[in-house]
Amino acid sequence: MAWPAEDRRATAVPKDGEPPLLTDEMKKELTEKYFPRYPTRRAVLLPALHMLQHHHGWIPMRALAEVGEFLGISPAEVLDTASFYEEYWLKPKGKYLIQVCRSLACEIYGSKRVTEQIKKKLNVECGETTRDGKFTLVELECLGSCGTAPAMLINDVLFEDLTPQKINQVLDGLPEDAHKFRDPTVDWQ
Amino acid sequence: MTPEELSKIATIEQEEQQQHKHVIQVCVAAGCLSSHSDQVKDALDKEVSKRGLENTCHVKGVGCLGLCAAGPLVRVQPTAKPDAAVMYQAVTANDAADIVSSLEGPPVKRLVCPTNVPFFTRQKKIVLENSGIIDPDRIEEYIAVNGYAGLLQVVSTMRPSEVIDEVMRSGLRGRGGAGFSTGLKWSTVAKGRGSTKYVICNADEGDPGAFMDRSVLESDPHRVLEGMAIAAYAVGASQGYIYVRAEYPLAVKRLKAAIRQAERAGLLGNNIFGITFNFSIDIRLGAGAFVCGEETALIASIEGKRGTPRPRPPYPAESGLWGCPTLINNVETFANVPPIIRNGSAWFAGIGTEKSKGTKVFALAGRVTNTGLIEVPMGIPLREIVYDIGGGIPDGKKLKAVQTGGPSGGCIPEQHLDMPVDYESLAKVGSIMGSGGMIIMDDTSCMVDVAKFFMEFCRSESCGKCVPCRVGTAQMHDLLCRITDGSGTADDLTLLIELCDVLRATSLCGLGQTAPNPVLTTLQFFKHEYDAHIQKKTCPAGSCTIHAPAEVI
Ligand SMILES: Cc1cc2nc3c(=O)[nH]c(=O)nc-3n(C[C@H](O)[C@H](O)[C@H](O)COP(=O)(O)O)c2cc1C
Ligand code: FES
Repeated sequence: MAWPAEDRRATAVPKDGEPPLLTDEMKKELTEKYFPRYPTRRAVLLPALHMLQHHHGWIPMRALAEVGEFLGISPAEVLDTASFYEEYWLKPKGKYLIQVCRSLACEIYGSKRVTEQIKKKLNVECGETTRDGKFTLVELECLGSCGTAPAMLINDVLFEDLTPQKINQVLDGLPEDAHKFRDPTVDWQ
Repeated sequence: MTPEELSKIATIEQEEQQQHKHVIQVCVAAGCLSSHSDQVKDALDKEVSKRGLENTCHVKGVGCLGLCAAGPLVRVQPTAKPDAAVMYQAVTANDAADIVSSLEGPPVKRLVCPTNVPFFTRQKKIVLENSGIIDPDRIEEYIAVNGYAGLLQVVSTMRPSEVIDEVMRSGLRGRGGAGFSTGLKWSTVAKGRGSTKYVICNADEGDPGAFMDRSVLESDPHRVLEGMAIAAYAVGASQGYIYVRAEYPLAVKRLKAAIRQAERAGLLGNNIFGITFNFSIDIRLGAGAFVCGEETALIASIEGKRGTPRPRPPYPAESGLWGCPTLINNVETFANVPPIIRNGSAWFAGIGTEKSKGTKVFALAGRVTNTGLIEVPMGIPLREIVYDIGGGIPDGKKLKAVQTGGPSGGCIPEQHLDMPVDYESLAKVGSIMGSGGMIIMDDTSCMVDVAKFFMEFCRSESCGKCVPCRVGTAQMHDLLCRITDGSGTADDLTLLIELCDVLRATSLCGLGQTAPNPVLTTLQFFKHEYDAHIQKKTCPAGSCTIHAPAEVI
């Protein structure tokens, strides 16, 4: 016999008295900018997740539930989708996300040494965050900078032709406040 | 926008450009930017205004000039004599004064980058014709070099079916990997049921070693928009999406700016050129999954789902985004469309080989002297790419293999270097054209290790939906690990070959079906390296760390 299950898709997520992570401004932007362009609300899920991550640095479980509620998708389905994509952080990450390319062209030019140097300097392993919450180190696939390998991204800024020495220079030069660290050549609106 | 307005913009822009005696082009694509070409540009700007030359000398940022390894690149071009342009390499902000001083005299010798060398002379630029020439952030400059003239021609003088015929006759084939006929794909979508259709530009460039699409988007974004708009007119779509990797922030920024400009100019949006043709384009950011480059997975991702492929047929051309007929082409495919329309299909079909028309952009990387972006006619011998254009192997090393097609491709050995580069010839040696990554390896690279490397990539990028790919890539990776660390046996090799067959025949999508290619080609051409690891427990290239097998200890 089938157990009658309550359809919880429309039930509100308990907010624990905290302000919502999916803010009213975000909802407004999603409604005005994104909904008209897509035939379904679900299609807006990835942009919404990008938005949350951009804002909070990562995507807490509660935010997933809020997005689900907003888009009319069950929280489990939101989690299912969000956890599929490497780009989304479902646990907190450091203020600086260091992503070193591990693909072939960079490997040929010594990306391993670069990663080792970062690990040593920051005392972390790949996939880990430093204790002070400042840095997270990961490896990822080709950044499309193979002509000037090895390459890495720190947040949105690309660094190329890396050497262990250059790593020290770059890491030491990062400002304490990660918001001040922006690619001067890219204007983000 | 009316046709008159378009030509007026072009004329005004051309006249303005003529007023300057010199133009200094500074590459501001990602490669040169990361070596601070923005500072070079600022320094040049300051120097020019310090000397009061603003009216005669124009400093502008342009897209990729090709030779990324020698960046930052700067090109000084006298307006009256474009052929007399001088290219400078490895320029720093401190060189600005010397460069500006040299405008009326001989060039700054210590910085000159010779352009009469094969790297530049052997190339044929169609897709990259504007790269390094125009400022990607200004639509006027694109219009001044005949931009959007193809779209105008199409909507004002051609019926959709005529556009498709023209593309069909050009012989253009998809540049995203498989090389499917673009005209045929367009006609399938055009014949598709229903009035809602979509056009998608696949800019999820994920093959390791490939950066052509990124460069096209960063250097000449309007070309891609125009190509998409022409396609939309031909197939009857009114909404387009560009699915681009989030790891390409600069490309995303340029695309966003380009879309805004085109909308403002009335080249995208409603009633383009005053006829009832509406087409808007939106950008969708990827989220770091390689498999989303596969067309059905990409569609799922746009729909807001996990990016997993589904069985085909039905092909997206019949039933794609939200079940509607959907045209998916690669960035470079779209970038080829405007010149085909402007110059005619016969012109395009006259370039390349019998079955592979036009040019192909390759990203040269690895152990080759000139790393960077090149565009060559189809059918050019591989040797010419490596030795003439690429400048050969540095440090007196010997070439071992050329890897094309990334994790779906293969390693081509020295003995096949004289083969022409086209879809069929590459397939014949077990590799594929792929999206255009070309990684050159010298004798310090171990071929078994390379195979393992790509298998690791496939293993971690496998979406997990079908068993052969999910489990097979993991098993093959384990086997390759054993072989490279010296504990592999002859049976392991047999099993490896068996698994190659299984994955090829039974995987759901191209990822699993082609994952064996790097293993198969290295086995075919470099079997002795596998044997050395298994039987002699040595790595001929000296790059694997061999652990003595357990029984010996
Ligand atoms: C695993 C996998 C990854 C792919 N990645 C890309 C990609 O990054 N870019 C691309 O244009 N095509 C990619 N493709 C090919 C697409 O599925 C599709 O064939 C292509 O976008 C069609 O465009 P075209 O006809 O212009 O080549 C990939 C295919 C597979 C199986
Ligand atoms: S291989 Fe590292 S950027 Fe392409």
